[in-house]
Amino acid sequence: MRRLIPLLVGLLAAAGPARADGLSFPVLVPLTGFLSLEGTSQRNGALLALKEAPAGLVAASEVIDTGTSPEAAVTGLERAAGGGPVGAVAASMLGTQMLAMLPLAAELKLPLVTVSGTASITEQGNPWVFRFFPGDAVTKTAHARYVVEELKKTRPAVIYQTTAYGQSGKTHLEAAFRALGVNPVFQEGVDPAAKDLLPVLTKALSANPDVLVLHLHAGPTALLLRQAATSGLKIPVVAGSAMHQPSTAALLDPAELKGVCAETAASPVSGGSPAVAAFTESYRAAFGKEPDAFALGQYDGMRMVLAAVQAGAKSADDVRKALAAGRHDGLAMSYASDGKGNMAHSAVIVCYDGKTRIPALVKRYDNVTGVVK
Amino acid sequence: METAFQLLVNGLALGAAYALVALGFVLVLNATSAVNFAQGDLVMAGGMLAVALAPLIPLPGLVLLPVILLVMAGLGLLLALVAYLPLRNRPPVSVFISTIAVGIILQNGAAVLFGPEPRVAPPLLGDGVLRLGGVAVPEQSVAIILVAGLLIGAQHMIFAHTQLGRRLRATAQDPEMARACGVPVTRMILVTFAIGTACAGAAGLLLANRYFVTPTAGGDLILKAYIAVTVGGWGSVPGAVVGALLIALFEVGVSSVFSYPVALGALYGVLLLILMVRPQGLFGEAVRRRA
Amino acid sequence: MLAAALAGLAYALFFASPYGLRVLTVAGVYALAAFGFQILFGLGGALSMAQGAFFGLGAYVTGILGSRYGLDASVTFPLSLLAPLLVALPVGLAVLRLESHYFALATLGVAQVLHLLAVNLPDLTGGANGLPGVPAFALFGWVAPRGLPMAALVWGVAAVGGLIGWRLARGRLGRSLELVRDDPLAAGCLGLDVGRLRLTAFALSAVYAGAAGALAVHTQRVVSPEVLEFPVMVTILTIAVVGGRGRMVGAVLGALLLIHLPEWFRGLERSYLIVYGAALLLAILVAPNGLTGLLERLFPPPPRALPDAVEPPAGPRATGEILRVEDLSKSFGGVRALDGVSLSVQAGAIVGLIGPNGSGKTTLINVLSGLERPDDGAVWIGGRDRTGAPPDQIARAGLARSFQAATLPNHASVLEAVAAARLPFDRSVAEAEAHARWALDRLGAGDLALRPCHGLPAALRRRVELARALARRPSVLLLDEPAAGLTDAEKADLAAHLRRLAWEGMALLVVEHDMDFLLPLVGWVLCLDRGRTLYAGPPDGARRDAAVIAAYLGGPAVRDDSDDEDGA
Repeated sequence: MRRLIPLLVGLLAAAGPARADGLSFPVLVPLTGFLSLEGTSQRNGALLALKEAPAGLVAASEVIDTGTSPEAAVTGLERAAGGGPVGAVAASMLGTQMLAMLPLAAELKLPLVTVSGTASITEQGNPWVFRFFPGDAVTKTAHARYVVEELKKTRPAVIYQTTAYGQSGKTHLEAAFRALGVNPVFQEGVDPAAKDLLPVLTKALSANPDVLVLHLHAGPTALLLRQAATSGLKIPVVAGSAMHQPSTAALLDPAELKGVCAETAASPVSGGSPAVAAFTESYRAAFGKEPDAFALGQYDGMRMVLAAVQAGAKSADDVRKALAAGRHDGLAMSYASDGKGNMAHSAVIVCYDGKTRIPALVKRYDNVTGVVK
Repeated sequence: METAFQLLVNGLALGAAYALVALGFVLVLNATSAVNFAQGDLVMAGGMLAVALAPLIPLPGLVLLPVILLVMAGLGLLLALVAYLPLRNRPPVSVFISTIAVGIILQNGAAVLFGPEPRVAPPLLGDGVLRLGGVAVPEQSVAIILVAGLLIGAQHMIFAHTQLGRRLRATAQDPEMARACGVPVTRMILVTFAIGTACAGAAGLLLANRYFVTPTAGGDLILKAYIAVTVGGWGSVPGAVVGALLIALFEVGVSSVFSYPVALGALYGVLLLILMVRPQGLFGEAVRRRA
Repeated sequence: MLAAALAGLAYALFFASPYGLRVLTVAGVYALAAFGFQILFGLGGALSMAQGAFFGLGAYVTGILGSRYGLDASVTFPLSLLAPLLVALPVGLAVLRLESHYFALATLGVAQVLHLLAVNLPDLTGGANGLPGVPAFALFGWVAPRGLPMAALVWGVAAVGGLIGWRLARGRLGRSLELVRDDPLAAGCLGLDVGRLRLTAFALSAVYAGAAGALAVHTQRVVSPEVLEFPVMVTILTIAVVGGRGRMVGAVLGALLLIHLPEWFRGLERSYLIVYGAALLLAILVAPNGLTGLLERLFPPPPRALPDAVEPPAGPRATGEILRVEDLSKSFGGVRALDGVSLSVQAGAIVGLIGPNGSGKTTLINVLSGLERPDDGAVWIGGRDRTGAPPDQIARAGLARSFQAATLPNHASVLEAVAAARLPFDRSVAEAEAHARWALDRLGAGDLALRPCHGLPAALRRRVELARALARRPSVLLLDEPAAGLTDAEKADLAAHLRRLAWEGMALLVVEHDMDFLLPLVGWVLCLDRGRTLYAGPPDGARRDAAVIAAYLGGPAVRDDSDDEDGA
């Protein structure tokens, strides 16, 4: 940000009066607390999109930490709304915070562009939310279908986190497996503060599963995989989207990752197209980190917003209409709203080969409608 | 049976690391009767320090240990100078707040310096796995238990058998009396802070390999230390160590039968029961006011 | 203070943006929660870690009833106050007898269990995601939208809560709680029901927290487990300490400062919490007694006027036997501290209690005043069996005692310390202070009234302690080594005061080692040795009794100041 503000200010000064009245695009994401890793990816993705915006389109946009409480999120939104005309808000991926911000966003008439997976945020009948990441209904369908259809497994053991992320994912996994005629042989929630995961692993294995299905945050995913490697796990593991984050893989030896797969919206580090490779390059250059799917989703979302502004959207309401009606070919996938604000309908499965920490794309699921609860 | 043994080893390793956290906490508590709420964040800082040093010193974690002990002891002195000494004649809750503030600074400082990603510190010796019959015991678990045991033993030796230890104990028991007997109380308090923080640093190194470290890792640890010290009897050093071991074994043991939320709930339930039956902690702190 | 409140009002009405108003609203919510904590922790000294949990409980009651059943505040708000109260009462009964940190841990355990339930009962609470769609605060058709109306509502409720809290803090409850905080044993011996006071404070704090929690969800319009998490508790504690312990104004100042502080540095993005931490550290270093303490140091309040002395009403003049002890026994882990001791003190009589160290003198006094329960035997006070009654009941039955080491609250003035003894009897603090003034005047210590107890020399501390006992007009007074450390002139003065009290009909039991002081004063002497009665009779007899001389009078002249006979 420190590097970006002078840049943005400089761009504005060079371009003279802003063409689109210099709409601002505040970034309200969790930079502290347990979701700071994902929040930082969101921030970086959004800022990269804003940085690459055509000159004069964007007014200086504040980055506001929302921490982990709904209270901080709504306060941040109110603060952002007070700082001049806003085009759209890059909003927290923490479901609870989104739920808190939605009524206020409707009152303030501000589109919220997020990568939150929490299913219920697009079920509130609120026209101001746009999710540029497949919701749990999509990813968990892909997750379950890969396990059942590709791996041909019928006895999954599900281990999930007792957080909003984990509970929402577990609900959708359950439904997706049921739709495929499979019943998990084991399901248990794990507190994110739990240090030793051998107990839950032992219990899961004693249910005699043929595949381990994880839906955990980054740290616990790595913890469980390491524990599994130590105890010589024989069955395959299909993890949740946290596994695809490069920082998760960085915690483990490549060998410990052998045979592990994960669902995600995209895996920018895996490449796939020159545009994705270019994104990964400029992301590394700007932030000194590897990008993940959350960064790419947020980047795609802000790009679509900026495209709308460039195409003539003059206000937040114009942006909302453009997002609701338009289609955008992003780097991760093609985005269009399903009428509720779900923009992303594709998910991928990536797998690690045990030699590098960069996963390979093995399966793509497009136009998944999923089982919406 | 094999599973039970493996769970026991894991529980002991976790408990040994918790014990170091609780030990640092209780030493400072005894010397100053102040609750050092930054202890959990100091553990995190120790872990982050190990992560930062690892690329500079490409040797096993065991070589990092003395460096970390030293740097963290320095940090402990700083902590005492900034957050304790100016408030030593104030109600203890002032120190509670000042250490909360230091914890916030440490946590967010680490986030800015290292980023929010979970990090892994180098293992103490190696990250191999010893196979004993059907039991897979990670070398790191064994190393944690050994190193924690050695450090706790060293602390005990210093306190029980040296001139410095006698002075430290005198300061902890009755600062007024110690001062009257010519013990440099302020210096002893500084030394206690240094030892307590070095313990936290060692715990950070031990935990940050097997369980990783994030800037927010401290919050949970301080709760565990607090529970351990209270269960063991407020101010009792062996009580704190045993309390920490019990908590870890309970955590691993109960969650291997029931789920984690149940284990956590049971932990607090048992705690309340213990307090009902033994209001002075498991090992008691037999201090009755004289009328 | 009024000017500051007006300035705040002007800011809210004319200058604050919607964002500013929201921050102000949140500050009001936390001020409300902190009021309750000021009563429980600030005044009562109980470090409860459940204040955040009660906050969350109030929040969940409003959140669940509001979002699921669409009920308005006329139903949800009272229930949000009631639910924490209903949880606080049984929890309080169970854990309030625990000492400081054990109490803190127990309340922390309760808070963690509530948090676990909120996360793991998704059907009721919405799980970790919580429940969206909590309606705005609505009462009989009137809705408080966000912005000025909500800020006004929250601060209106906070003003009412703050005023109630202020009245309580300055009144008998607040004073009694301070006494309980500083010295629960002494508070009990002064006739205060420590358990009930603590429970009252705990229940009050829960009601305040519940109200704050309810308003918090009306402000943020969702309820999720974050309201039950530890940071809420830490924020409330920090507000109380940084603002000024035990002060309602402190809660307001602390909440305004701590809720605004991070917002001021928001622009620093990730580093803002580092600055916040540093500012918090600075605040506690610069103002260790809180913002109110700092303000009082900068602008010292004018010295208060002394109340006029009013003689407290005395009961009917007691006659006959006031205190009777029958065959009292008490053991500590196999050591018989008291072994079949009997004793009788008539109205107007002074009885001396002597014996070597460890003979059971202090144990006897502790049993008589209710601090220890006897194993066997009976204690009659004023003709009623009071065996095993708690200290406050015994105190209210007319027994007063002093302690070997005078236990006066350090930060209080002498007048306040003595007035504390009248709190169980008088209707207001003002009345108690008028009676305290009378007691001080009577002992010729009226000029001490406004001195702080801290730093008072030993002789004066004893005088104040005696005034404390006297102010209550007890029918029987137990004094534990009242002459220790006094000069001969002071002893003579003390003896004169004690004689006058006896002449007025009070029964006195005096423990003393100084025979030259004691024997001329008393009409009867009881000498204990290893818990048994060695001698009971007139003082002259004691001087001549061979057993007494062997055990005590003739023993070594050196005596230890500390009297470890109760095994402490």
